[in-house]
Amino acid sequence: MAGGNESQGEIRAHLPAFGLAALTLGLLAGAAPASASPGSGWLRLAHLSPNTPAVDVYLYSFHNSNALIVVHHVAYGTISGYQKVPAGEYTVAMRAAGADASSAPVISATVNVAPGAAYTVAGMGPAKGLRLQVLHDRLTTPKGKALVRIIQASLRQHQVTVRAGHSVIARNVAFASVTGYKVVSPGTWNVSAAGRTEHTTSTITLVAGTIHTIVVLDDPGDIRLDDLVDAAGSKIAPAGGPATGFGGTARRPGNSDLPWAALVGAGLLLSFAGYRRTRRPVGAHALGGRGPSATA
Amino acid sequence: MSLQAGQAAGARRRAFRKPPPRHRRPPKRRRLVQSAGLVAMGCGVLTTALGLGGWALTGQYTWFGQAGQRASSAHPGQAGAGRVGIRQPGSGGRRRHAGHVGHAVQIPVPLGLTAHAPGGASQRKVPAPVRLVIPAIGVNTRLTPLGITSNDTLQVPVSAAIAGWFTGGPRPGAVGAAIIAGHIDSYSGPGVFFRLRDLHRGQGIDVTRANGSVARFRIIAVRTYAKNRFPTAKVYGPVPDPELRLITCGGQFDYATGSYLSNVIVYAVLGPLASKRSGTPPR
Repeated sequence: MAGGNESQGEIRAHLPAFGLAALTLGLLAGAAPASASPGSGWLRLAHLSPNTPAVDVYLYSFHNSNALIVVHHVAYGTISGYQKVPAGEYTVAMRAAGADASSAPVISATVNVAPGAAYTVAGMGPAKGLRLQVLHDRLTTPKGKALVRIIQASLRQHQVTVRAGHSVIARNVAFASVTGYKVVSPGTWNVSAAGRTEHTTSTITLVAGTIHTIVVLDDPGDIRLDDLVDAAGSKIAPAGGPATGFGGTARRPGNSDLPWAALVGAGLLLSFAGYRRTRRPVGAHALGGRGPSATA
Repeated sequence: MSLQAGQAAGARRRAFRKPPPRHRRPPKRRRLVQSAGLVAMGCGVLTTALGLGGWALTGQYTWFGQAGQRASSAHPGQAGAGRVGIRQPGSGGRRRHAGHVGHAVQIPVPLGLTAHAPGGASQRKVPAPVRLVIPAIGVNTRLTPLGITSNDTLQVPVSAAIAGWFTGGPRPGAVGAAIIAGHIDSYSGPGVFFRLRDLHRGQGIDVTRANGSVARFRIIAVRTYAKNRFPTAKVYGPVPDPELRLITCGGQFDYATGSYLSNVIVYAVLGPLASKRSGTPPR
């Protein structure tokens, strides 16, 4: 995209996230086929604790000891794609990678998925104080605007200020905290995150009608930004329903079948009458050759 | 002898005939009646055929001539509607209309500003869509870009034979709800989305992108809404996963305004079909 500097923290492809998404998708398809959309919400899982080793993430639907989803070896910085799940109560549990499924989880949290709502369940904080945070993700934007929030998951820089161009999105965001969504004018921005000693810049395009979460992450030797599209809609919602038909196959209101039925009837009657005309006199002639008894 | 006998017989017959019976027609008249009967029968058969043909045609489609007349007055409230001469595809090659099919028809098409191509993060890695395939209803169409008209409605494809994608929305396969619209019909016959309402949950939709990659969607719902209760937020609003909306018209056609009173919307999500096979075979 718009010439972001690769080495300087251009938005990374979410390869691990993609794998997680694919995995959960496959598992969900087998375990709980996404039911009718009105009764479902979205869940995504994230590991955002820098010094916590990889974990196995379990998702249980309420009152079911069999995990709906198990994702093995989820490392720091991994954020899954959203998964559509039936609305209801879920438990997210994290165990050390490779730990027995029946062992006590390192941490767990309950999330109540409301229909049509989206949530991020993220393991956050330092390893010693690891906690699962349930974030409520917005799914609507003000007309013609974009929304941005910041997750500060860098332990290298305890406080980070994030700017889009020269305007501040969030100032002095502390480690393991999440800002609210901030309204940003759409456009392509040089988004920078600056700590006390390190800073990074990414080129991020914010389209109207989209909602972003920008995650500040630790990289070996530096910090970086990860731009997540929480949700996207149309830049401008067209007014009303589109005019996608000209009526060529529509039934005309005054267009009853009666005239055609009458025409068919008349045709049949005429045919029959004609047929009789052609038959009768011939018959009369055949008989009439012998005598006058034939009737016309 | 035989001659005499023959003559006698002839005389007898003549004599017998001389007083013609009142109720018998002369042979000439009889022939006339016979041929009249034949003509009447022919006419009857023709009329029946005509009636049946017309019935069959209008049972499903309106008269082309009437539609043509309407073209000049249709969409009265559509400010900024342009007129574009298009070639309508033959609607099943109806013989009665054979002479008309393929003629350029003046139809009003909403013209207006085209929205800028999106370039957001969500679209970064996803190329533009170029083709739509819906095996279940035999749709295989190229996709034309659609913007927004000057009166803020969604632009629609100029031809009823192809579908279009809304460039103001996410691209199919990217996060968000991509919008593809197509006509249910033209003035003369079915359009590309004529059978959209026949789709149901679980069926597949394939969108081919400019780089040849295919995004496969699975239908989760097919709904019909009155146009005055169009679910704008549900259709165009943000969603967190890659989805697709197919839009066409449906319900009653209002001849006064020249538009359908409802919209049919197909909701689909990116993902494999629920079948045992990995997917439907490509067509």
